[in-house]
Amino acid sequence: MPEKPIPENDPIVTKSLAPHYAICMVILMVTLFWALWDEDFGQRPWKAFQHEWKSRYSSFLKGARTQSKESQDEIEKSADYQKLKQDYEAASQSATPRIKEINEKLRGLGADILAVQNVFTDRRAYVNASTYDIETTSSASSKKSKQQDLDEYKAKPSTVEMPDGKKRTFKNFDELEETYNELKNERTQLSAELGELLKPVTEKKELMDSYLSDHMVNLTAGQLLNLQNGVESLTPAVRQINVNEHAANLEREDAAQIVDRCESCHLGIREPVKITAAAMSLKGKKPDEYARAFTSHPEPDLLKVHDPEKFGCSPCHQGNGRATTSVEKAHGNYEHWIWPIFTAQNYEAGCQICHSADMVLITNDVGWVVSEGKDLFRQRGCVGCHRYEGYDKEPEDLLSIGQEIKLLDQRKKDNLKQAGDFMAQADKAQSNEEANHLNERAVALKVENSKVDLRIMQLDRTTKSLFQDMKKVGPNLKDVRLKLNKNWIPVWLKKPTDFRPTTKMPNFRLNDDQIKSISAYIWQSGLPDSLPKHKPGNAAHGKELFETRGCLACHSIGEGNQMQGGTFAANLTRVGEKANYDYLVRWVHNARERTRPYCPYEKKDIGPEDYKKKGLPFVFDLDRSKCPNDGHELQVQNMTVMPSLRLSESDAEDVASYLITLKKKNPSEYSDASFMDDPKLKEEGKKWVRFFGCFGCHEISGLEDEGRIGTELTTEGSKPVERLDFALLTEVAERGGREPIKDPEDLARLPEGPAKEPWYDHKGFFEHKLAEPNIWDQGKIKPPTEQLRMPNLHLTKEQVRALTTFLLGSQEFPLPPSYQYRPLDYRKDIQEGWWVVKKYNCMGCHQLIPGQKTILMGMARYQDAQEQLPPKLLTEGARVDPEWMLRFLKNPSLNDKDTNRNGIRSYLQVRMPTFSFSENELGKLVRFFQALSRQPFPYIPEEVPILTAKETEMARSLFSSTAAPCLKCHATGDPAHDRIATAPNFLQARGRLKPDWMEQWMLDPQAISPGTSMPSGLFKRQNNHWVFSGPTPPSFQGYDKDHTRLLVDYILQLTPEEQRRVSASMGRSSAASGSKPSGASSSGQGGHGAGK
Amino acid sequence: MDWNQLWQILSAADNVPIIAMIPLLAFYIYLAWKQAHANDKLIDELAANPALAKTHHRKTWPFKPGWQKEVHVWPFLLRVEFLAAIIVTIILMVWSITLNAPLEEPANPNLTMNPAKAPWYFLGLQEMLVYFDPWIAGVVMPTLIIIGLMVIPYIDTNPLGGGYYTWKQRKFAIGTFLFGFVILWVSMIFIGTFIRGPGWQWFWPGQTWDHNRLIYEVNRDLPDLFGITSNLWKGIFGAIVVGGYFAVGGLLVNSLFRRTNPKDYKRMSLLQYSIMMTFFLIMVALPIKMLIRLLFHIKYVWITPWFNV
Repeated sequence: MPEKPIPENDPIVTKSLAPHYAICMVILMVTLFWALWDEDFGQRPWKAFQHEWKSRYSSFLKGARTQSKESQDEIEKSADYQKLKQDYEAASQSATPRIKEINEKLRGLGADILAVQNVFTDRRAYVNASTYDIETTSSASSKKSKQQDLDEYKAKPSTVEMPDGKKRTFKNFDELEETYNELKNERTQLSAELGELLKPVTEKKELMDSYLSDHMVNLTAGQLLNLQNGVESLTPAVRQINVNEHAANLEREDAAQIVDRCESCHLGIREPVKITAAAMSLKGKKPDEYARAFTSHPEPDLLKVHDPEKFGCSPCHQGNGRATTSVEKAHGNYEHWIWPIFTAQNYEAGCQICHSADMVLITNDVGWVVSEGKDLFRQRGCVGCHRYEGYDKEPEDLLSIGQEIKLLDQRKKDNLKQAGDFMAQADKAQSNEEANHLNERAVALKVENSKVDLRIMQLDRTTKSLFQDMKKVGPNLKDVRLKLNKNWIPVWLKKPTDFRPTTKMPNFRLNDDQIKSISAYIWQSGLPDSLPKHKPGNAAHGKELFETRGCLACHSIGEGNQMQGGTFAANLTRVGEKANYDYLVRWVHNARERTRPYCPYEKKDIGPEDYKKKGLPFVFDLDRSKCPNDGHELQVQNMTVMPSLRLSESDAEDVASYLITLKKKNPSEYSDASFMDDPKLKEEGKKWVRFFGCFGCHEISGLEDEGRIGTELTTEGSKPVERLDFALLTEVAERGGREPIKDPEDLARLPEGPAKEPWYDHKGFFEHKLAEPNIWDQGKIKPPTEQLRMPNLHLTKEQVRALTTFLLGSQEFPLPPSYQYRPLDYRKDIQEGWWVVKKYNCMGCHQLIPGQKTILMGMARYQDAQEQLPPKLLTEGARVDPEWMLRFLKNPSLNDKDTNRNGIRSYLQVRMPTFSFSENELGKLVRFFQALSRQPFPYIPEEVPILTAKETEMARSLFSSTAAPCLKCHATGDPAHDRIATAPNFLQARGRLKPDWMEQWMLDPQAISPGTSMPSGLFKRQNNHWVFSGPTPPSFQGYDKDHTRLLVDYILQLTPEEQRRVSASMGRSSAASGSKPSGASSSGQGGHGAGK
Repeated sequence: MDWNQLWQILSAADNVPIIAMIPLLAFYIYLAWKQAHANDKLIDELAANPALAKTHHRKTWPFKPGWQKEVHVWPFLLRVEFLAAIIVTIILMVWSITLNAPLEEPANPNLTMNPAKAPWYFLGLQEMLVYFDPWIAGVVMPTLIIIGLMVIPYIDTNPLGGGYYTWKQRKFAIGTFLFGFVILWVSMIFIGTFIRGPGWQWFWPGQTWDHNRLIYEVNRDLPDLFGITSNLWKGIFGAIVVGGYFAVGGLLVNSLFRRTNPKDYKRMSLLQYSIMMTFFLIMVALPIKMLIRLLFHIKYVWITPWFNV
């Protein structure tokens, strides 16, 4: 230790610490001020936002005012506005003199009152105080003396100096009080009169103002000024929304308890003007953090439905609504918040949280990413492996019903046995009484059995419905032997996309051994039956049928750029390489036709031998669906959504002959795969089929009751991120920077390209998993049975994004149950209906949402033949009687014998197929269409008044008027005419169409079905009535009812004879050769009936 | 070397006190040692020079004849203490302004964090849980620590060394403190902070805290190594081993203590001496147990139905 010189004086005693103290105190004070600043601004960054908002928004409003001032001037010049203005001015002028007078009087009165009031209140205070004193004095004498004093005081005169300078003397207090009250009364009366006078004037003024605001896109100058004043008087404060239904009771479990302070920074969200980031930027600069925060909500309409006061922000967007200290924290983008804000690419995930029951999010809008995700989840067969609440409930329901039926059967047996016992005991009973008692018990058991029987019948009915509803994404593999080219199977399994790039069948990354054993199992477990032989058909005719009957609404043909048709079902470009002709004929004729029915109780396919045992013919269909062995429901249909197009057998042969020609190489060119007959491979194959869960999408013999192999995804989005297994890529994901997906095809599936930022979150997990499902096996050493099973679904970028959005929103419901969109009124019917509509791809042919494109619309064939497109169903519920609709959906040919036709629009080549809907789905669909058009349900048809002879005559003249020859386009049943008809027959209007709708349709068909060729302007408004626009015969003189109504009633009473008569009188020539009215022909929209 | 991982641990707001503690501890030990060294020199000087000792009793360096023998608490001590209080206030304020409390996400009962770490000042206790059963590590040991600290004034018979830094006059006391606090306690906190990663596994500084890491490690009980299977014999065997430790260790420490601190030994009563010895041996037992656990994978030595040591 170096020796320092020792100071002369003791440093402890003599050394001053003053400088140390001084410095420390200065630092302490600085720290104190720092702390204060931090408290006020550092921890409250939103204040800076609010200051910026104030300056930027008010300067924006200033700019906006000049713009709208001009448009306001323009509107102010308009005649309507001028008239309103004149009214206003006249009103105000007539009222002005009196108003002026009153105002002057009021002014004078006010001054008088003030003067009197000063003296009066002073004296009154004294009087009141004295009175109180008297009241509380106990001795009578002093009371008396005090009363005397008070009386004296009251009697004293007082002087008031009036505003005009004169002095006015009041004799005593009472007079003063009286005067004061009089003055006040007078003022009240005058004010009331003024109010009355001003009322018409202000009303006129309001009319003027509302005219202005109605006729301006933007806001009026006045409104803008108000906004501006609001902004300028803004004081910094946290703006908070308390999302809590039960504000009074925070303890309730179902209270939302969400506190959102988002608007403390996002101040423009609810402004009534559209605010863009560019508008909020500083001059000449790019939008900065502030500008982006200040924009108004991009979807103000959504906010109207979801009032922010009720919903807040974070229930939809997520993030940490409470946080105010930094942008990262408020958005929840830090490790300590488990619900980070949804990114711009996936913001629709928020919808799914409450709208999980909706297949189509908004009934009047298309293009919702999350809806696409939900659709894909079903279409791509995700449901086959992953359970998801609401999807594909049938197997579970069937299982529980099956169990119930078993229990009931057992109970029935037990009851019977017990009843027998009772009766036997009764026979041996000692007394009559006892015997009666036992017999009664036996009877009770028998009655109970009959109840059980009814319950079983009910359950069987439900089972039948469920069997019909239950669909599989992939084809029935029990039919492989009948259907497929054996040698093709291993090639397909190798990589399905090599054979058919757009297939739904995913790539399972199978090795050769797995392929061999799986195909062997599938082949050997297939049904051994044979199919009836069919003669070859006419392929050219088949091609035409294929292209015109509507197959292409679901199926596609051609690869790459050449592809046309829908993506809902398989691409058939190479179907000739894989399929057998006879099977194709059966499939085209009726895809639902099964080789053998399946009995879920015996767990086997019932063959002819089972029927024979019972002496029954081997016939099964929807009407004959009872099992010969146990009497319960059988699965009698193939579980495919493919409907029957009601083609005749020879047509089906033609189509199949065409399909069999679609190939790139000959089936015989496939290399031999006879190993599939090796019985040794079968068990191995079953193991792998089970491992990969093939039965999720396919019906496979022996594996009908297998459960789903994947994880349930209903609440996958709210799984803690730690529960998502990133495996060896955890660190990579947390730190970002390196993209683990190497395969260029898989890399292209990532919606935002290779990861650059850290992606250790749900979004990153889902996107990577969907892009390359086995990504988490990277670097891991695992035996094949432990490797990730999820196949590569070869999705596109957009599809990955849609599914990710859907999964992100799949959350445990964080809000009170009432926030969930689970309506019980007509909206529930809409909700349920969409699931069915999407299931069967109705939108491939029909337009249900304005602006929605159908597959057929996009095809070249229909570009110049719009009238050949299937009808738009925008107002279907309002148009048709639900009873009729039910009949039509059951059998669209509306005919029991001749089914090879369209029931209503026989002129259309495209065919409304028979879907064999179950009772359940029929009900849902009918209710859906009624609900979609807000029709009351059930529908009670109105009585059609019977027309008098005169009225009939008049109506006929309209019906056959040369100005609007109805029968020129509408079908009549005359084959020669119907060839060129482009609209339905009138005869089927009765029982089908709703009269109100018919009237609307005649008046303005374009409004109901844009683009229809039904002519508009047939009727005009005259004296509050609809009158035919064309010439009317003299009999119409004095007729004061709507002509439309007359015509509707006539059409509804039309008989075939009448129609024939009219059509004959119009002359065949005009009907047959008549050119189509006003350019395009009828689009087939204006349904007025159906002909034979 | 995973610098990223190291930086994440070092920069965590939770770990600021520990990061600060390491250099501070070193600095204060150095400071104390420096002063003790000077004082020891002064004590030697005073002992050699009785005349000087008469005029100077402050026993702190520096000194000069003629300086006051003693100074008053007020103002001479308090003014310094108050200054220190101000400086600490400043430090705390700056700290609280710049670093917000590292609060975490809403608790999820279905998912506990991994590693789940106690606040830094409890990490020593948490680390002890690795080596003893919860009853010993969580209840007995902390109680003994507190009682041991309370007992010190009653067993400390050394009259020297009060009010000034010294090493020579209090070698045993200071040595025990350095061992018990710096070596045992602080290093256990250090281990808990820097070494223990997911699954409470041992990660060297700079090793990635991989949640999927798997290690092969089998810990056995000492009786198992000797092939003892019966529970009774396990208990007896453990009692013998632990008793043996106390007997042998006691004799060893006894001979050392008598040799190095004969004056203290003489001054202490039997009760004081045995209490001191008990606590000392228990304290030394902790690192011994840690070592046999970490190096030889021995889980427990003494197994009974009621507690395990």
